[in-house]
Amino acid sequence: MEYKSSRLTSTYLRARKIPSTACSGCGLGMNHKIVVQAIDELGLETKDIVWGTSIGCAGRQTFATWKGDGFAGTHGRAYAIARGLRIALPPEKKILLTVGDGDAFGIGLLHLIHAARCNADMTVIVNDNLGYQSTGGQYGWTTPQGAHTDSSPYGMFEHNLMSEGMDVLHILKGAGATFLARHVAMDGAVAVETVKKAILNRGFSLVHMPYPCPTNFAARELGSRNQVNIYRWIQRQAAPLGQEKEDTVWATGIWHDASNSRREFHEEIHATIDKIRRTGSL
Amino acid sequence: MKRFLETGNFAITEGAILAGCRFFAGYPITPATELAEAMSYRLPQEGGVYLQAEDECAACHMCVGASLGGYKAMTATSGPGFILYADPIGWALGCETPLVILNSGRVGPVSGITGAPGQGEFYLMRYPTQGGNFETICLAPNSAQECMAMVVEAFYLSERFRMPVMVLADQLITDGFEDITVPETEEEMKEMGFRTWPRKVCQGPEFYPFTDELDIPPVVLGHNTGGICSDWTPTVEGYDIEEVEAHHKHAYRLIYKVRNHRDLFNHHYEEKFVDDADLIVVSFGSPSRVVNTAVEKARAQGMKVGSLRLINIWPFPDELFHRKAKYLAVELTWDGQLVREVQRAVPKDSEVHFLGTCGDLPTTPDLLESFEKLLKNEPLSRKGWVLEAW
Repeated sequence: MEYKSSRLTSTYLRARKIPSTACSGCGLGMNHKIVVQAIDELGLETKDIVWGTSIGCAGRQTFATWKGDGFAGTHGRAYAIARGLRIALPPEKKILLTVGDGDAFGIGLLHLIHAARCNADMTVIVNDNLGYQSTGGQYGWTTPQGAHTDSSPYGMFEHNLMSEGMDVLHILKGAGATFLARHVAMDGAVAVETVKKAILNRGFSLVHMPYPCPTNFAARELGSRNQVNIYRWIQRQAAPLGQEKEDTVWATGIWHDASNSRREFHEEIHATIDKIRRTGSL
Repeated sequence: MKRFLETGNFAITEGAILAGCRFFAGYPITPATELAEAMSYRLPQEGGVYLQAEDECAACHMCVGASLGGYKAMTATSGPGFILYADPIGWALGCETPLVILNSGRVGPVSGITGAPGQGEFYLMRYPTQGGNFETICLAPNSAQECMAMVVEAFYLSERFRMPVMVLADQLITDGFEDITVPETEEEMKEMGFRTWPRKVCQGPEFYPFTDELDIPPVVLGHNTGGICSDWTPTVEGYDIEEVEAHHKHAYRLIYKVRNHRDLFNHHYEEKFVDDADLIVVSFGSPSRVVNTAVEKARAQGMKVGSLRLINIWPFPDELFHRKAKYLAVELTWDGQLVREVQRAVPKDSEVHFLGTCGDLPTTPDLLESFEKLLKNEPLSRKGWVLEAW
């Protein structure tokens, strides 16, 4: 079968990695497309962005898809790596990270919080497949309550970072993030507009983007690998902020927009150092 | 040149700055805290960046990130922090990112004794991360002045080999005050034997060639070279691949770029009276200074004792152990680590003995007594729980 590349893929992505090796029916490609579409609509070029990823489905499937420079970090540490990189890169270069939910909200949460604290200019897209799917399907820190996974065979019963009043986006807001949003993969053009705003924020932005995993999550929770079932299951439980229903798990839209309200990390550090160098004090 | 009465930490800071280091991220830990403090004061004066990290894992990852962005970067810690470097060191080894890491040894395991010298990370410096399939370079100075020299050298080697290079010091060396000379010009640096190497940028598209060649510039992001690096086994271009043959080639590079170019650093050692010695005392770091005194005294008393002080400890310099003699390893561990390598490297049927202590240096009289006994073919004294056996 011949793969027909679209203008988006031929402009921004490497032919070698597209189509990806993701499972059939995986929703990650929808998130990926939302991000690349946003980049395109902002008129950015491959040289404008350094693209980082991490471990797991989201990290591995998006690594080296970007035609420009990129890296795949160790599990959960991309936010610390990106802070070092942020100091070294010129401020006009953007850093975009496509990571997974286990990476960002589990092993990497400490580093994520500190990246938010110092408002390091980066856009973190958390591609949430509702658990650890590349290792076969164990529950994660944003897996919906009650969900059956390989490591929660009786249903997920622990409180997690999607529990009432414990939303991970609240934690990140408290830590100083200047742009926070949530969209499910099926949000399409609305999500593109949000990601554009996230990228334009000179500071720490994070967009949490749950997407369907038919292979592992759906097989266990819904008893079906039919993509339509998991897509509908997610969509049914998502609603725009302010229009949540009783069974809404994912309230979508922009949660917090304080774009460009606080001096960004690179600028803060380099301006301070310049002053110390000139005057010998702060 | 300027002279100071200062600590090893001061010497390391000045050495790093001379070598072009403009990024340091660290986490407070005794006895490496003063180094982070000195960096926080000195780096901004030179236009460099000091960042305090949320933990050592982040500190080292931030350094790798900064290095990937084109900075010469360094971090420093002690044993309990060094184990948290395992993650980023593995990544930097695999991605072939230059970096300098200093470990100021204290007494372990775990937190142990914080304010005393130890050498229990001798093997950890060789195997600082999981997975194997790599070589490491480690230099172990025994004075503040040599700390400066070895940090400069570590930066030089890290650029040429494009890998993290480690310096193993200990609490006495980093915290102790000594007479230190700091060069002020490039000529003075050359005079003192300091070598430097500028950061270059790999232009690709072959970012990970399967070769043992030196001087392939590292991947630097942000130059639009299409440079990519990851934690997975790379193809020549840097793509991730699950293939045994590709991994074998990658491992070949990581191992043999070091093994086949040891001449760049294996001259870092010091020998004294070894040519006619019946007993060769092997040591590195702070105990080697007591060994030096003891060996000189022993010679004055007519004992045929020599000293072999290692500075380049990894890869282990097997070739220095070609003389048939008795060997005595003096080190700051009770379990005996250096002695195992000595035993492995010496000519067949050589006698190898072990004199360990930890948290404190051996004394000259203790050493002299041991030399005398070994030369008379008597066993080393056993005082209660102090055993020679390892």
